[in-house]
Amino acid sequence: MKEFIKNFSEKVQTSLKNLPEEEIAKALNILEAAYERDGRIYIFGNGGSMALATHWVCDFNKTVFSHNLDKHHRRFQAIRVPTTDEELTAWANDVGFDMVFVGPLKNYLQDGDAIIAISSSGNSPNIIKAVELAKERKVSVIGISGFEVSNKLNQLADAKIFIPAEKGDYFLVEGIHGIILHMMVRYFKDYFDHLIEREPKNDF
Amino acid sequence: MIVVRAPLRISFVGGGTDLPDFYHRRPGRVISTAIDKFVYVVVNRTPMIDRVTARYSITESVEKLEDLKHTRIRAALASFNINKSIEISSFASMPSKTGLGSSSSFSVALIKALNAFQGKKVDAGEAAEAASHLEIHLVGEPIGKQDQYAASFGGFNVIQFNPDESVNVTPVLIDYKKKLLLQDSLLLFYTGITRAASSVLTEQKANIDSKLQTLSEMADSVPEFAERVMRGDINGLGAMLHQGWLKKKSLASNVSNSTIDDLYNAGIDSGAWGGKILGAGGGGCVLFICPTDKKDLIRESVKKIASEKNLNEFREIPIKFVQSGTEVLYNGDQFQAPIA
Repeated sequence: MKEFIKNFSEKVQTSLKNLPEEEIAKALNILEAAYERDGRIYIFGNGGSMALATHWVCDFNKTVFSHNLDKHHRRFQAIRVPTTDEELTAWANDVGFDMVFVGPLKNYLQDGDAIIAISSSGNSPNIIKAVELAKERKVSVIGISGFEVSNKLNQLADAKIFIPAEKGDYFLVEGIHGIILHMMVRYFKDYFDHLIEREPKNDF
Repeated sequence: MIVVRAPLRISFVGGGTDLPDFYHRRPGRVISTAIDKFVYVVVNRTPMIDRVTARYSITESVEKLEDLKHTRIRAALASFNINKSIEISSFASMPSKTGLGSSSSFSVALIKALNAFQGKKVDAGEAAEAASHLEIHLVGEPIGKQDQYAASFGGFNVIQFNPDESVNVTPVLIDYKKKLLLQDSLLLFYTGITRAASSVLTEQKANIDSKLQTLSEMADSVPEFAERVMRGDINGLGAMLHQGWLKKKSLASNVSNSTIDDLYNAGIDSGAWGGKILGAGGGGCVLFICPTDKKDLIRESVKKIASEKNLNEFREIPIKFVQSGTEVLYNGDQFQAPIA
């Protein structure tokens, strides 16, 4: 049992030591730009990645500002798509499962928005369809993927957050994805707290 | 109606190496950041009015596009094959000709707005390229293309101009602490002296052959500047800015003048680590990099010089760096392409 735990932990550590720092930095810039122009950030994924997406929306919209909830003139507008289970099942049942993200996204997506697509394989057809819509509309794409560097999401994304792993090791890839998403929350929480500390009378 | 916003920029080193006479021989390079001062372009469809109307410092309304006096709007509309039923206005948070790149910010915003008007989307690179083409080839201005790329992409970037006309935009990935540290160490003053970049650049262009070595050194210093930005070596950045300014002054006789020299020297004598004139030169804005505790002293001494020289428009411009580039903020045009 201990050996299994040690092996898994070593894989996680290796992965964490080799995070794609530049690509994460680019993603932070994309998020900051969307904030400045009052754009919205749409995030989506399948299965466990959908749970990561929803968790991140909660943290990004609320936890980032939790020390100073009323001191910033606006907050992030992160939205998970689809926003309701009803839309998800309607698109899947009536049109096709490949439409569950791109269908609802078409209702919302505007110039100045950004998207975060999470797919461990980077090849889920429904994810790629939504990413292709964003690319067509010249909306910035943060791609969070894993396994093979040649995956489609990694090819299409503007910020290519890719975690190399043995094919099928969702446990490692999704775990690291979760850490990176939390890192983004932490970065902006520190940043916005810092702005308030240095100029408490200003709002941002 | 379509509303597009483009940021102005401050450039640190490498200005002048974005002129084709230079980068056709050796790659040019600049480092600059977008700031929280903006140019807005509004485009409105007027299906019931066949005229072309442009509202800027004056209002023009013409029946025939070729009668429009505003050269860039006229050339841009012609290139989009639009010759009636359109109204274009511009708004800005700064006067023009300040050396903050506002004329190119206008062009990028215009290009993005006219694309949106025709139901097309363009990315930052395409918009910058089209704006450069508009200003340099269609209008024939003797300018470079750093400002179009700075405005279109936004953020803090190293921009490289290659002999084959391609351009690489590499973001300088600094965290908020270093960004704010640099931002806090800058002082920007509008001199109140305006000039068109083209007047200075025409002479600079003629001198390129003899100044090739100086320009190469300026382009080559850009990676080191970027590295110091990443390290947060503000003092070193000041020294590099000072060296860059001395080099830039040697490029053309009208880059500086005695008023600008006096303002610059007053800042340095009061403790600034370095500085420069923003834009092609001859007027515009003065930028200093300085220790934060020297800011008040520098403010006092440059204001004294400005008042002695009767620079009535002289004032400090508080700035913040921004990450966003040229964006369509609102698109309520009823003739947009359908969703599918």
